Amino acid sequence: MSKQKSNYPLLYWLLLPISILFNGCGGYPSIVSLPYDFRGTSINSAANESYPQIAPPYIVFVSDRNGIQSIYLYNSQTRKLVDTPGLNFLDAIASSPSISENGRFIAFVANRNGRSAIYLYDRETRQRRNLTENIEAEVRNPNISSDGNKIAYEIARNGHWEIALIDINTI
Amino acid sequence: MKKAFLRWSINIGLLTLLSSCSFGSISLSSGTLNGRYNNEQVALSGNGKWLALVSDRSGTPRLMLYNLSEQRFVEIPFINTDEAVAESPSLSLSGRYLVYITSLDGKPEILLYDRLTQRQEILTQGYRSWVRRPRISPDGRYIVFETSRRGHWNIEVLDRGPYIELDIPDGSRANTPNR
Repeated sequence: MSKQKSNYPLLYWLLLPISILFNGCGGYPSIVSLPYDFRGTSINSAANESYPQIAPPYIVFVSDRNGIQSIYLYNSQTRKLVDTPGLNFLDAIASSPSISENGRFIAFVANRNGRSAIYLYDRETRQRRNLTENIEAEVRNPNISSDGNKIAYEIARNGHWEIALIDINTI
Repeated sequence: MKKAFLRWSINIGLLTLLSSCSFGSISLSSGTLNGRYNNEQVALSGNGKWLALVSDRSGTPRLMLYNLSEQRFVEIPFINTDEAVAESPSLSLSGRYLVYITSLDGKPEILLYDRLTQRQEILTQGYRSWVRRPRISPDGRYIVFETSRRGHWNIEVLDRGPYIELDIPDGSRANTPNR
C-alpha cells in the first residue's frame, strides 16, 4: 500500500476525488437498470423500442412488439406498464410521443394511408383528439410543454420543414 | 493502477478542456422562426419558452435555440463545430440543460450542456453501444435514450445523480428521494 502511495503522489490524491465528483467514474452519471422481457410485458422487449421521453416516474415510448408500431407508457416507480385505453389505433402507425410532466397528456403523431396528424391523448378522460384535422401537410415530431398547454411540431410547408405551435387552450 | 491513473489524467484533461475555456459570447440574431429555412428536430423546453432546433439559416445545419417570447435566435458557438454535427436536441424545464448528440471519433455520444454555467460534459463516455434520440427529464436529472445494446433498439435511462442542480421552479437542489 505504501509502495502505491509513493508511485502516485499528492497530485493523484488531490485529483482523484475531483475526477470522481465531476466525471462519474463509478459514480454519476450512471445507467438505471430497466427490466427486460422478451414477450413485451415490460419496457424493453425483443422488438424495437424507440422515441422514449421521460417525465419521472413516466417513460413514454414507441414499440412494434404487437405487430403495429404503437405507444406505451411505463411507470419507473411501480416498474410496470401503464394501461392507456383509447390511446393507440388499430390501423395507424403511432410515433414521437411526448408527455406532460404530470403524466396526464400525451401528444403523438399517427400515420394512416400516408396521412399524418398530431393527436393529444388525455389519460383522465381516456380520449384522444386530432389537433391538426384541417392541415393537409405532413406533420411530425410533436413536443408538449410540461403543463400540457403548448405543443411545438414540424410541418412540411413551402417546400421545407417549418416549426409550428399549438396553444391547447385556443383550439 | 497505473492505467487507471492514466485514464483519470486523461479524463481530468478532457474535463479541463471542456470546462475551463469560455465558450465565447452567445451571439444573437433576430428574425422570424421559419422564413425560407429548413427547421427540423424541434424540442420545446418544459416551460414552453424555448425551442431547440436544427436550422440551416446560416447555410449549413446548426443546432440553435429560439426564444419564443422575444422571438430571437440564440446560438451557442461551442456546440456547432466544423468536425461534427450537433443534432437531436432536448431541453429541460427552463431550457437550462440541453442534451444533444454529436459524433466524437465516429461514434455518436450524448452531451449535456448547462446554459447557466456554460459547461458541457459527455454523458456516454465509456458507453459502448450506439445511441440515438436522447431526451432529458424536465428537472434535468434523467436522460432517456435509444440504445443498440441488445442488437436492436431498446430504451436506456441515465441518472445524473442526486447532487445536480435540478431545473425546477424554485431552483432547489435534489436529494429528495420521495419525489
